[in-house]
Amino acid sequence: MAFSNSNLTYRATVIAKPSYPSQSPLTFNKATSFRPKSFSISCVMTEQSTNSSAATAAVAVAVDDQLTVLRPDALGRFGKFGGKYVPETLMHALSELETAFQALATDHEFQKELDCILKDYVGRETPLYFAERLTEHYKRPNGEGPEVYLKREDLNHTGAHKINNAVAQALLAKKLGKERIIAETGAGQHGVATATVCARFGLKCIIYMGAQDMERQALNVFRMKLLGAEVRAVHSGTATLKDATSEAIRDWVTNVETTHYILGSVAGPHPYPMMVREFHAVIGKETRKQALEKWGGKPDVLVACVGGGSNAMGLFHEFVDDKEVRLIGVEAAGFGLDSGKHAATLTKGEVGVLHGAMSYLLQDDDGQIIEPHSISAGLDYPGVGPEHSFLKDIGRAEYYSITDEEALEAFKRLSRLEGIIPALETSHALAYLEKLCPTLPNGTKVVLNCSGRGDKDVHTAIKHLQV
Amino acid sequence: MACNYNILSFPCIGKVVPIEPLTLNTNLNYISKPCTKTLISTVSVEKIPIAGKFGSFGGKFVAEVLISPLAELESEFNSVLLDHEFKMEVATALRDYVGRETPLYHAQKLTDYYKNINGEGPEIYIKREDLSHGGSYKMNNVIAQAILAKRMGRKRVITATSSGHHGVAAAAVCAKFSLDCTVFIGTKDMLRKPSNVQLMELLGAQVKPVDGSFQAAASESTREWINNLDTGYYLAGTAVGPHPIPTMVREFNSVIGKETRKQAMEKWGGIPDVLVACVGTGCNALGLIHEFIGDKSVRMIGVEGGGGGDLHSASLVRGEVGVYHGAMCYLLQDGEGQITKTHSVASGLEFPGVSPELSFLKESGRIECYTVTDQEALDVLEPNYCIHLINNAAYKRLCRLEGIVPALEASHALAYLEKLCPMLPDGAKVVVNCSGTGYNDAPTVLNSIPVNEN
Repeated sequence: MAFSNSNLTYRATVIAKPSYPSQSPLTFNKATSFRPKSFSISCVMTEQSTNSSAATAAVAVAVDDQLTVLRPDALGRFGKFGGKYVPETLMHALSELETAFQALATDHEFQKELDCILKDYVGRETPLYFAERLTEHYKRPNGEGPEVYLKREDLNHTGAHKINNAVAQALLAKKLGKERIIAETGAGQHGVATATVCARFGLKCIIYMGAQDMERQALNVFRMKLLGAEVRAVHSGTATLKDATSEAIRDWVTNVETTHYILGSVAGPHPYPMMVREFHAVIGKETRKQALEKWGGKPDVLVACVGGGSNAMGLFHEFVDDKEVRLIGVEAAGFGLDSGKHAATLTKGEVGVLHGAMSYLLQDDDGQIIEPHSISAGLDYPGVGPEHSFLKDIGRAEYYSITDEEALEAFKRLSRLEGIIPALETSHALAYLEKLCPTLPNGTKVVLNCSGRGDKDVHTAIKHLQV
Repeated sequence: MACNYNILSFPCIGKVVPIEPLTLNTNLNYISKPCTKTLISTVSVEKIPIAGKFGSFGGKFVAEVLISPLAELESEFNSVLLDHEFKMEVATALRDYVGRETPLYHAQKLTDYYKNINGEGPEIYIKREDLSHGGSYKMNNVIAQAILAKRMGRKRVITATSSGHHGVAAAAVCAKFSLDCTVFIGTKDMLRKPSNVQLMELLGAQVKPVDGSFQAAASESTREWINNLDTGYYLAGTAVGPHPIPTMVREFNSVIGKETRKQAMEKWGGIPDVLVACVGTGCNALGLIHEFIGDKSVRMIGVEGGGGGDLHSASLVRGEVGVYHGAMCYLLQDGEGQITKTHSVASGLEFPGVSPELSFLKESGRIECYTVTDQEALDVLEPNYCIHLINNAAYKRLCRLEGIVPALEASHALAYLEKLCPMLPDGAKVVVNCSGTGYNDAPTVLNSIPVNEN
């Protein structure tokens, strides 16, 4: 279910007073109606140590619990990040979308319909699977180690978490009376998910895809066409995902009355980061319920890969206010952080504006986007969702990166140990377990978001792995 | 329980006239007992229950050396069916690993498509086996058998695969349970689906090519099993084989039908009126229909591969009775009792033999069997089409109407709806088994059909 409480669109979070650029004034609202129980986050700077029982890698953050900041606030900001950096022509569409979204949050009929689709069409709820052999693999010589659980988003219809958002946005578009859907896609996964839901709901579907990506992903292009979508090649720029996104935005500006833009991640102008997060939040909600059923508690650590950040936000969001739950996002380090060929936006990026939102992004000194690289197309994005930028800055979530090689090893490891072939994107999160698990106390409950299945990546992996 | 078998000391393949011709009518009462089915006709022929036989079909037409391991397998199988711990382990694995229960999805747009001009027509529901781990129903059987193998103390699983889907499922489950996995595959099949071979190797299985096709691979894997009876477990992937294999494979797949009954009750407070499934050897079909065999009002339809030209794989519709892989069943054979070459665009349907249980159900009239050609399942009548037009290909129909990409095998069942739905009364509840996802069939479809560039 997309929403379970009223006012779920806004969540109060206690943070310290950050520093803001003077040209973007922000309004802080005291959230009186849903003020959380007062607590303070105090994070202690500790070194990562292998024999430490509770190694944390947080930044020391002073806290003032009188000050509350909404996620997002009325302007669509997460702290200084987010916002609506868009041409004037899109402002009305974005406001209309936000209004519709908030109305549907309390619309019982909409929620019931969405619930039914998620259950019967998408195949939710997805299992929380105890990965016994993976857990064994991480046991130390004295037999101690964490317990690893996989949230099986790979079992969804179309094989990834992306359908959660696509299906909800398609339903939303129908309620708005839109008949035309546009979307961007890199590897084609989001394109296939969008084409799928458009077929299901009888909507006209146009997918923008970089010409270079189309060549690399001919099979996905065919699948989108089979599902009835029109795939338009984008030749501008580097003919990859970021150019496809720009073209899609251009189309939306031109056709805003008839068209809804299904953005594939928690990036983009407000209300998209909030909406896409809410539509994926079902992942975290189910996890909470399943964790309670399985071990009578909550997860201790959540791990997810981060490209734009949608699957990670979907898992994290439910637990952001549970301060004892560690949130770990894993980005793509490509050929290595020093190689210049990576997609580790939160580690190596700087704050700027891309695709309508302020966030960390990979840019050169002139503010031009640096072309990212990752073996996994879904992580190959130079930006990141603004909420992740925010969570990183306040120290609520930790972000690391994993190289192509480490990801490929993890891809093979899960296949051999559990008979589950993960997407290369997910493999980045799995690879981080190698570094994380030795530091965790015995019995720590780790939940990793298995965001997609890896059939699509077998050729790539085999080529590199020489199985 | 005493069992009588038709035992021959050497495998026998050829034209066989049924020893006891059946005159059962459609009023069948099924009484289920652990591991066996006792069939009692309400009208004419009284039959003595014989384990492993479905009327004159089934049995154990195997070399003497396999009799004892098969008996051991049967004994283990009998005992696990009563073992609560085994059932819990299988149920947990099905829920957390395979992702059951799979939805019973009301295909509204497909339902609307089949409405007549008065707005009347049946209600189409799709049982979503495509959402299982591995992308098809095959996991149901493979995971239960792997748990059984572990229980028997076996360290190694031996199996044979034709198109590779079963091989991939077996390899995945063996990885999970840390069992060694050896998969035999014909060299001809390896060339058709090289991606499946890569998947099996990635999952840690040892893939052994055998000159020829599935027939050769199956023989080779049986030989391997015979040479490793203490440590090896033969994991059957088809519903054709010597007893207890057909019964085991059916039992482990019957979760499909059990869920369907429960979901039908939740959704419309009744049972289905018609069940439709594609038939290769019959595993997915039996999995769906078995639960409802005793419900006389439920119509059961099996759809086989009608292929194209002279070649097909319609064992039930056009085959004759003979012995194939240790069981008496319908099979495609020539005048000299040699197995004929089969063809279907859906490789999972390309078996010359079929489950003995389905053979019996067909002969007794409980199940109706039809064929659908490659063209009906897949192809278009016109070489070019606009993306906005719905064409006559079942594969593309489900893609365009519901956004579900069915396996080419399941497309055969879906194609039959074209003939079935106009004949059904308004509101009839039809459940079609979407036995697998066609996501990985896209290359086959890509090579067969031109798609209009718009």
